[in-house]
Parts: sequence; C-alpha cells; structure tokens
Amino acid sequence: MYHELTVWSRGIIMDKEARDVSTCVAAAARRLGYYAENVSDYVDDPDRTNCLVRRYARFADTPILDRFVYENPHPDWVVLVEETIIKAVNFFRSTRDGQGVLVINSARDPQYLLKFLPGHMLAKLGRLVVVDATGLAEQRGSSPWMFVRDLSELAFDRMSTEGAVERLAIGRGIAAPLIGALVAATGDLPVDAVAEVVADRDAMLRGARQHTVVQYARES
Amino acid sequence: MSVRGTHVPEHLRLPIAGVTPPPTEKEGQRLFPTGNFRFFRPVYKDKTPPCNHACPTGEQIQKYLDYVKHDRYLDGYLTILQDNPMPSVTGRVCYHPCETACNRAAHDEPIGIRGVERFLGDFGLNLAENPIKKELPPLNGKTVAIAGSGPGGLACAYHLRRRGYASVIFETLAKPGGMLRGGIPAWHLPEDILEAEIAKLLDLGGIEIRCGTRVGDGPDGVTLDHLRTSYDAVFLALGQDVGRRLDVEGAQARGVIGAMEFLRETGLGRPVRIGRDVLVIGGGNTASDAARSAIRLGGGEATIVSLEAEDELLIQPEDLDQARDEGVGFRPNSALVRVLTDAAGNVSGAVLARARLAKDGHGTVTPQITPGTETEVRCDTILVAIGQVQVLGWLPAHYTERGLVKADDFGRVPDEAGTVFAGGDVMRGPSMVVDALGDGKRAARDIDRVLSAGPLRPEDPVEVMPYEKLNTAYFRHAPRTEAPLAPAGTRRSSQVTEVTLAYSREQALAEADRCMSCGVCNGCDNCYIVCPDVSVMRDTRQNGHYSIRTHYCKGCLVCVQECPTGCLEKVPEMDFDEPDAVVRMETAFAPYDGAHAEQAPFTRQLIEDAIAEYDASRSKSKSIHPNGQGVTP
Repeated sequence: MYHELTVWSRGIIMDKEARDVSTCVAAAARRLGYYAENVSDYVDDPDRTNCLVRRYARFADTPILDRFVYENPHPDWVVLVEETIIKAVNFFRSTRDGQGVLVINSARDPQYLLKFLPGHMLAKLGRLVVVDATGLAEQRGSSPWMFVRDLSELAFDRMSTEGAVERLAIGRGIAAPLIGALVAATGDLPVDAVAEVVADRDAMLRGARQHTVVQYARES
Repeated sequence: MSVRGTHVPEHLRLPIAGVTPPPTEKEGQRLFPTGNFRFFRPVYKDKTPPCNHACPTGEQIQKYLDYVKHDRYLDGYLTILQDNPMPSVTGRVCYHPCETACNRAAHDEPIGIRGVERFLGDFGLNLAENPIKKELPPLNGKTVAIAGSGPGGLACAYHLRRRGYASVIFETLAKPGGMLRGGIPAWHLPEDILEAEIAKLLDLGGIEIRCGTRVGDGPDGVTLDHLRTSYDAVFLALGQDVGRRLDVEGAQARGVIGAMEFLRETGLGRPVRIGRDVLVIGGGNTASDAARSAIRLGGGEATIVSLEAEDELLIQPEDLDQARDEGVGFRPNSALVRVLTDAAGNVSGAVLARARLAKDGHGTVTPQITPGTETEVRCDTILVAIGQVQVLGWLPAHYTERGLVKADDFGRVPDEAGTVFAGGDVMRGPSMVVDALGDGKRAARDIDRVLSAGPLRPEDPVEVMPYEKLNTAYFRHAPRTEAPLAPAGTRRSSQVTEVTLAYSREQALAEADRCMSCGVCNGCDNCYIVCPDVSVMRDTRQNGHYSIRTHYCKGCLVCVQECPTGCLEKVPEMDFDEPDAVVRMETAFAPYDGAHAEQAPFTRQLIEDAIAEYDASRSKSKSIHPNGQGVTP
C-alpha cells in the first residue's frame, strides 16, 4: 500500500486547514505502523494571501525511499480545502488514470462540481467525495467566515515560519470534517484510529458520516 | 536582475519584472494569470433606481439626469420620450412619485426631478423639429380607436405610433386634452404648453383627434360596437369628469357649483361667474385647485371645508403651502350640513358642523358629525369637490364594476374579442396624470402584443436599489434647489400666471448633479481608480463600459466595496460555470501559460524525464526491498 495525498489550499488564510489535513493523515499513518511523510510547500510562494498552496503527505507499508522528493509525483488522494480551487488548477497532474480520489469542501451538488473538470482531468478521477466541511465544522466566534483567525493566530503562517511549532490544536475547524470524509471514503486507514489524532474528534466523525461519494471511474 | 555576462540556458530565460511588461499593462497580466486566487468575482449588475420604479411610466430618470449632468440635453429629452410623450406637462403637474421614492431623501433631500423634467421638456418643445419623427417606423395599416384625449389616450396614441399603429382619438369636448385642460388650471399648466405638446403628437402623423364626438349612445352615433368593428383595437380612457353631487338641504340653490365643472369651464376659456366669498367642500387636490382658481377669478376669499383634519388633507404638500400663501382659508374637521338661500334662490350662506372621518378596519371612511356644533357662515358660492365619477351606463354591464371599468392585469376589459383595453381614472378611480400616461404606455404595448399575436406577459420583476446598499460616503450633502415660485400677490390676481417657475440651466444642472445613480453604473471611474491590480478595463469612456480582467483579478473586492452606486456586486466564483470562466493553471504559480509546466516543451520534458526516472527507480527498488514486499504505487 502506498498513497500520496496532496492538499490544495489558499495561501496564509487557509494554510492551517491544509496543514492539519496532511499532518493528521501522516501522523495517524505513522501511529498505525506505516511509514509516513508530511511535507510543506516550497514552490508556490506560500506567503501570498489567497494564492494556491499545497501540502503533501504520503504513507506506505514499506520504507519511503525518496524522502527528499517533496512534490508528490503521482498524487492519488487530492483534497481541496476550498471549492473554487476546482476551477483554478490542474491538481491531477501525473495522477494515474482513474486512480484519483478528489475530496472537495463544498455544499454544492457533485454533478455541478463535475462540470468544472475538463476531459483530461476526468480521465484521472476515480472517486469524487463532496463534504460540506464548512457546515460540519464547529463554529468559532460569530463570523460566518469559518477560515478567519485573528492576526496573532495567523502570524506564523504570515511569516512563512516553516517548521514552527503549531500554536493551535491540530485538526480543528474545517480540517476535521475534511479528514473524516477523506479517511472514510478511501477506507485505507481506520476512521477511529485517525480520529485519535484529530483535535475536534466529533467534527471529524461528522465528516466521516456525512459526505457524498460519486464513484466516477469503473471500479477495477 | 542583471543577466549580463552570465550564460542563461534557454529554458531558464523566464520573464522577470522590469524586463517584461509589468502587470499594470495588459500583456503583463497575461504572463501572471492570477485569476485563480479569486473566490468572489466582481460583476457589474445594474439595478432599478427607486425613482424609475416608482414612476408609473417607468421613466429612466437616472439616465436623463446623467445626460443633463453632461450637458447632453437632446439625449436626455429622447430618454424621456421613450416612456412619456409630454415631459413639459408632467414636468409641471406631476405629483412626482419619483421624488417621494428618491433615495436622496434618506441622505438629505430628494432631487427636484420634476423641475429637471420640465427643463428637458421645454428644451424639447423649443426644438425646430421633433427629433423622434424621423426614427418612427412606417404605419403598419392597423388603426386603434381611443376614447378620450386625456393623458391616457394621448399616451396610448403616442406609444402606438412609435410601434407603427395609427389611431383615432374621440373627444367629447371641443378641445383635446381631457383632464389636462378641463381639470388642471392654467396657472398650473399654461394652455400654450398643452397645445404645443398635443401639436407635437399630431405632427408625428397617424394620430387623428375628433373633437366634439362622444362615444356611447349619443346622437353622434359613435357607439362601442362601431369602434369594435371598425378598428383593430379599442382603448377606453374616458377619465372621470362628472363631479359627485351634494345631498344636503339646499344643494339645488343657484351658486352651488361642481368644482370639476367649474374647472372645466374655466379651462375651456368660457366665462364663469364666481362670487367673492367662496366655500369649497372637499379635502383633495381638486378642492385646492378650485379654491385657488376661485380666488383668481372672483378676487375674493375662498375657504376649504374638509372632513379631514389639517394634517390629513389629501392635498399635495407643495400645493397646500402655495394655497396658504395665496390666502386660501381652511376649515378642517368640518362638514356642510345645510345650504342657506335667499329669497331669489341664490346661495346666501351655509351651516357647518364639526365632524371627523371615522375609519373602520377595512379602510372605508364615514363622516361623523358632532351634533350641536352647527354654525352659520356667510358665502355666495359653494364649490363641491367631493370626488368624481363617470357615466358608464352605455357600456355593457359586465364591463363595469362599482362605477369603474373592470380590467384584468393587462388593462384588458372582459370582452370576447380581447381587443378592448382601458386605463386611467376610469379604470383606477381618481389618480395622477402620470398614472394615466403609464396606463396608456402599457396599453399600447399590450395592444401591439395582441394585434401581432404575441403573448401578454407580466412585467419582469426588478431589483430596486435601497439606500442602505449605496456607498453613501461618496455623496456629499447638498441642499435641494426648490423650483422658484411667482410671488403670491401676483398669483392671486391672474388666472394665467404660472405659479411654479422653471429651473435655470444652472439649477437643473445642480439638481441633476445630486443624483446618486442608485444601482446604475454612471461611469464614475471609481472602480478603475481603486483597483489595486489594474484589473478594471476601461477601453471606452462611455457610461458603464468597464469590464473585469477575470484572468488577472484576484477577487480582493475593493471595487465592490468602493462602488458608490452599488452596481458592482460580488458573485461566488463557483456560480460561473461557462467553460471560459475557468482560469485553470497547470501549476499553482505559473509566470505565464506553461512557463513552469506542460506548455513549455523543454521544461515539460525535464519534468517528464524526472518522473520517468523516479518511476523506474521505484520499480527497481521493489525487488531489493528489505521486507520483500512489493510496492503498489
């Protein structure tokens, strides 16, 4: 078993969510005895607000030999922390045909979302998982904009202090239901075991229960 | 960055800032397509300003105020003519629902729209030739019969002519104009202005007015059946010009005159005898007009006796102020109980009593007289302005209901053929000139639809711009310029001196300049200026011609925040699902299309090679793996 997870997000204001998804998946995999890696973004100018940024994780039941390759060569799990990324970038570059599991944080109809994928990306899509993570996440404060944190919380992200200690618990807010949907829809990691490493365990389990799966490619 | 003396391989010669066009230039934006940063897109979406919405004719007020602002009077005049054939008339007599609805009222004071309309209308009357005449379509051979030459009938004829239909208007009186002539005194609407507006309509060709012809059972023989069979469609704009009668003791005395009849005789220029001591019964605009005309004609005093309290009077506020200035007296909360007559049968006085209007839950009002409060007042004329009706006995019974012509949502009378329409007072009860103009416009549109076998359909719903959605920080407070008035002393002595005077060019300009252009782009350039990313294009400087460079706009929404009129809106990017709405890049950060990835052949090859090498190494590692397990990529 070998999986590559690429989480696409937006610079600074949604960086934390993407980071938490990849961190939790990698941490849970390692606790389960797999070999796992979790890599930050080095190519996308991640210190720009709103720009597209990535986080990578991969895990295998055998040692990962090329540990210094940080860009996932063949991502088969792709998570979009925010729905408009579906029309923003080719996140299925080098994904193998029919292998891609795409998890989108969206409250929209999966068929509507599929309209945005061109033919060459649909060829790579195996399964589409739509989860309204924003709706399932725990509300923080009164702002309807679930991504916002105050400036002091954002400070580390804003300064691109890669490798700094997390100031907030890992796996809260929008990240938790996203992890739940991803883990439940792929089925390679046990949901309960992953829930152990997610700070907002309830929201994670909500995501694991409440999501829509569209099996796009024929199952092999 | 200087590259002099350094060998840079071809594939690394990427454009760099300073050498390549910067993003402030169009070409530079193509190199950095940052449109995929965006999750909200700014969209220009014009809404309906409240003035436009409130106007029964749907005049595009914001548009012509904007033209006045730019000294483009002819364009402004033509804009009005699209909806209203007679801006010189409405510019004088309209009760301006537009000004009542104006968002500026919440800011400081509403805009003097009526004055600007009058300015443009008079501008148009002074043109040597009617500017729309040469743009009219040729007549299509169909003719519509119109009963009544009031504002409703004239507007219908005008809008039918704009659509290529001829019309014949039947008017009972000797001169056309209906209520405009017979109901509105000359000191409100000078006769020559009305004549000029009607002449302008007749000049278009295809409109015929037959005066002195009564439609109905009269001796003229123009019956409804005749109209229905001889013409392609019929529009009934009969108005309501028969005053209600008093039913009190002495109401038959000489000197008790209907205010409607009094105003009509005066308007037609016939000699009218009026005393020096006049009582006007009624609390509406007709009462006010009659009282003020009576002062001008008789040179005496006039008092308005109304059931309504002082603050409940149904008189237009500015008319009320003008009436007070002219010395009209008021006896609010009073009712006429009895008319006193002398031996010759002339009015010698009246008995009034305290009274009030009692409202029940259904909105109907009934006068309640307080017994024992009767007082006697001296007077020699009593003008009765307690409402109007129309004689409709000659119409089929199923056409009418409670004294009005019955019509569906499209103004269609319940007639088998479906080609008989109605509008104006005879359909809606006493209402404004501009209501009749609007009915005429809609009737013309619907007659056109019926005669061209198109479906009748309700008007599209519109989004009206509320004050709260404007960015009011951009509008400095400026006082309204009130229309100048003739001095009260001069007004009292002349039946023809116009009370409200025209704006000067400067005043019209100042008023037009106060327009906040609610919800409609007026090309103020603010979005163009505030955009931090030069993503607003302004290829032409004309009104509303901006566009957003969607491939570069990052969706910061500063333009939406700073749009003064509120015509810019944010729309979720995901709502745009047309194929070219997608700003997709091959990687997250691409200096230009493919610089980093697939389209640049050399770079792509490097990556493909690296991936192939990687794949090969992984499949090799399979066999040498310590625990002997295979790896499933």
